[in-house]
Amino acid sequence: MKRQVRMKVNGEEVEGWIDPRRTLLDFLRDDLNLGGTKKGCDLGNCGACTVLINGKPINSCLVLAVEAEGQEILTIEGLSEEKRLHPIQEAFIEHGAVQCGYCTPGMILSAKALLDENPHPTEWEVRVAISGNLCRCTGYKKIVEAILSVSQGAMNDR
Amino acid sequence: METLKIVGRSIPRIDGVDKVTGLCVFGADLKLPGMLYGKVLRSPLPHAKVIHVDTSRAERLSGVKTVVTGKDLPITYGGAVRDQPYYCFEKVRYIGDPVAGVAAVDEETAEEALDLIRVEYEELPAVFDPIRAMAPDAIRIHERLGEYWHLPFVTLIPGSNVCNHFKLRKGDIEEGFREADLIEEDTYTTAMIQHCHLEPHASISQVDSTGAITLWTNTQHPYSCLRDLSKSLGMPMNKIRVIVTPLGGGFGGKAWLKVEPLTVVLAMKVKNYRPVKITLTREEEFYATSVVRHPSIITIKSGIKKDGTLTAQKVRIILDTGAYADLGPMVTMWAGLVFPGPYKVPYIWTDVFCVYTNNPIAGAFRGFGNSQTIWAIESHMDALAEKLGMDPSEFRLKNAVEEGSISATGQVLNGVGIKECIQKVTAATKWKEKEKKEGRGKGIALMHQPTATPSASSSFIKIKEDGTVEVLVSTVEMGQGSNTVLTQIVAEELGIRMEDVRIVRPDTDITPYDHGTSASRSTFSMGNALRAAAVDAKKQLFEIAADLLEANPLDLVASEGSIYVKGSPEQKIPIGQIPMGSSYLGKGKPIIGKGTFTVPDAARLDPETGQSENPSVFWMYAAHVAEVEVDRETGKVKVLRMTAAHDLGRAINPLACEQQIEGALGMGVGMALMEELKLENGRPLNPNFVDYKLPTSMDMPEMEPIIVETYHERGPYGAKGLGEPALSATAPAIANAIYDAVGVRIKNLPITPDKVLKALREKETKSFPK
Repeated sequence: MKRQVRMKVNGEEVEGWIDPRRTLLDFLRDDLNLGGTKKGCDLGNCGACTVLINGKPINSCLVLAVEAEGQEILTIEGLSEEKRLHPIQEAFIEHGAVQCGYCTPGMILSAKALLDENPHPTEWEVRVAISGNLCRCTGYKKIVEAILSVSQGAMNDR
Repeated sequence: METLKIVGRSIPRIDGVDKVTGLCVFGADLKLPGMLYGKVLRSPLPHAKVIHVDTSRAERLSGVKTVVTGKDLPITYGGAVRDQPYYCFEKVRYIGDPVAGVAAVDEETAEEALDLIRVEYEELPAVFDPIRAMAPDAIRIHERLGEYWHLPFVTLIPGSNVCNHFKLRKGDIEEGFREADLIEEDTYTTAMIQHCHLEPHASISQVDSTGAITLWTNTQHPYSCLRDLSKSLGMPMNKIRVIVTPLGGGFGGKAWLKVEPLTVVLAMKVKNYRPVKITLTREEEFYATSVVRHPSIITIKSGIKKDGTLTAQKVRIILDTGAYADLGPMVTMWAGLVFPGPYKVPYIWTDVFCVYTNNPIAGAFRGFGNSQTIWAIESHMDALAEKLGMDPSEFRLKNAVEEGSISATGQVLNGVGIKECIQKVTAATKWKEKEKKEGRGKGIALMHQPTATPSASSSFIKIKEDGTVEVLVSTVEMGQGSNTVLTQIVAEELGIRMEDVRIVRPDTDITPYDHGTSASRSTFSMGNALRAAAVDAKKQLFEIAADLLEANPLDLVASEGSIYVKGSPEQKIPIGQIPMGSSYLGKGKPIIGKGTFTVPDAARLDPETGQSENPSVFWMYAAHVAEVEVDRETGKVKVLRMTAAHDLGRAINPLACEQQIEGALGMGVGMALMEELKLENGRPLNPNFVDYKLPTSMDMPEMEPIIVETYHERGPYGAKGLGEPALSATAPAIANAIYDAVGVRIKNLPITPDKVLKALREKETKSFPK
């Protein structure tokens, strides 16, 4: 039995009639055509589907879309404003933290959640914060370097 | 040395923006109008006859558009041995073997339909141990092995479960052992592990009214897919189109046909020519249609002189290729070619067997047999060094190959940087200084790797009227950075900017033939093909420009977006002003540069002796040092630091080279310490990211990649390859470091804490006899 659900996604109010069994991940990707959030396992184990719900990094494949009623969601598409890249996005490119790019959206959002709460993390704190985001390509080294570079540079309030 | 403006620079990835913004549409993301979703019913048994498949109830489910079984297309495909059914029509040979497929309006409906399909099986005895499978009385997994089409070099043994046997015989091996002062024999094993690229396999097939097939698929090998489909279906190649969607990682897991055949059958049967997509679930990724790395059993016997000179090396390698051959026969050859490592050994005897079992299918995986063989050799070399009382790095330096050395196959080696790698890595890690802290140790391991030879690449460079350029190549970007590196080469050659070059996505209707993106071959082979295409394009440009500039075409150069007369830079014309299209008024013409790269002097391996003067147009070399800390209470191993020196010929993009090395080191830590797909009677017990341990950001050591440049004379700007090498030397370096730290040698990967603890206890017991 479909239910009407309202939520805010990337600053915009959205609403829809959603089957209660649908995950937030599928709702974002298929109903809202926000394909930037990736599906790596659909079981909450890889972090590729990470979005921010009220600022917290969450595996969207483990959230039912109806559970997101009234919440504020940020997906990777919501991070760059008017085609201007967020400092984390720029740092990822500059530091070589992107290879195949499949883990990247989730990784960047986990990084944003960390830096929003802890603007000057240690290297270990960065590693812990992204430990729920699996990457098979990079060995994580340049990802950690990119995130640390943002924390050490000036970061605008975004 | 030429002055280069773009090649040699650490330019960030050209596709970086798409990837950090989520705009990149991967194969797993792609949706087409009218698309249906496919799901596959898979065998729950490892070995059985398929007696009957009843799909009637599934066909009646609302939303189901078609259901297929093996009866719809009872044929097989396979690039090395044509042994693998599109859908099983007589037997199933592993748990996960496809028996039926459903195309429906959404995934949920398709899954529901699978539950409505009834299959009657007649179970057969199964075999899961490759040594058991080689016994004369073992159950035959492919009864008609002798009848299958196969590549000429594949030595399958009809009436057995062996689908390839690679042999190498150099000299009289018994003579080699007689010359030795010391003989040592040991057995090492590697586990079944999985690629775990984050993006799953995803394919869409669509058939048109003429029967022509179009595929959108995340493959590393568009032309191999095209060829295999064409040959197995009996369809002309120009009626099959393979379009490659951006890959979220490959590592060999997306080589050759994987999900494509499953979608093709559905697309052929569905009404109204609708496209059908199948995306594998993560569970399927671990063992079903998706492939694993060949588990291996490697027995090495070595003869050495007291002074540390290797005299003889003998090996038997058994590779468990699972239910179907896939790329197994090639992996078999590679595993053999790599033995006995980058060392001068006068007498060699190698046997590698590729064996069918009822286990998941093993295929291509970064290293391609190399990772298994090097694990065994480099663990063994350390054991030998200890017997001799020699430092492990000195022992290796003493025996390492050099420029002009003769390889195991009789090739005169050139472009050999292994000694420089050893020197750089031992210097960087202060190798001579013994670890003082208790429980800490250092280990070294070398590797070498060949590349697919012969293999061909071809390319087109289209120059648009405004001087910007489109590059048509079938090299597949899967995160390794090929698009960026090839753009650098084209921009350098034509004297234009990076942003003036665009690489068109691989599409067999548009981009010309390439062997495939694997074997660490693309920078070398496609780089060379593109240089040739650029020379061809420039020749055409110079002809027109010479006329306009009233100069001799031989006096012209292309630089900074213009064509100049050498020595008179004011005599120039911007490329965009050369008449190539609508501005053609009698002078000029459209420009397409064409370039092909082949290896005409490649030599086939002799089937009895494995001898060949050129089995690999270049060899890659590396030396790794691992620094570890072992906890004697828990058996846990922490890799503190990996230092990896790689002879890659020439770094076209040093940043990209670091990225490759670091990524492969990370994969190596997983292979060494934690990864294993555990099976029970052919059933995977841990096909998910929780129970199959992948290294996370918290498991990584410090990493120091060191680039060693030896400038290979046949490589573009001297470049060789780098995609695979950094994986192979990592696990043995770690194992050797563990031995240095606590005195135990683990010979079976992965080196899990329980194995370390057990070995430590056994060592303790031996030291204190009752």
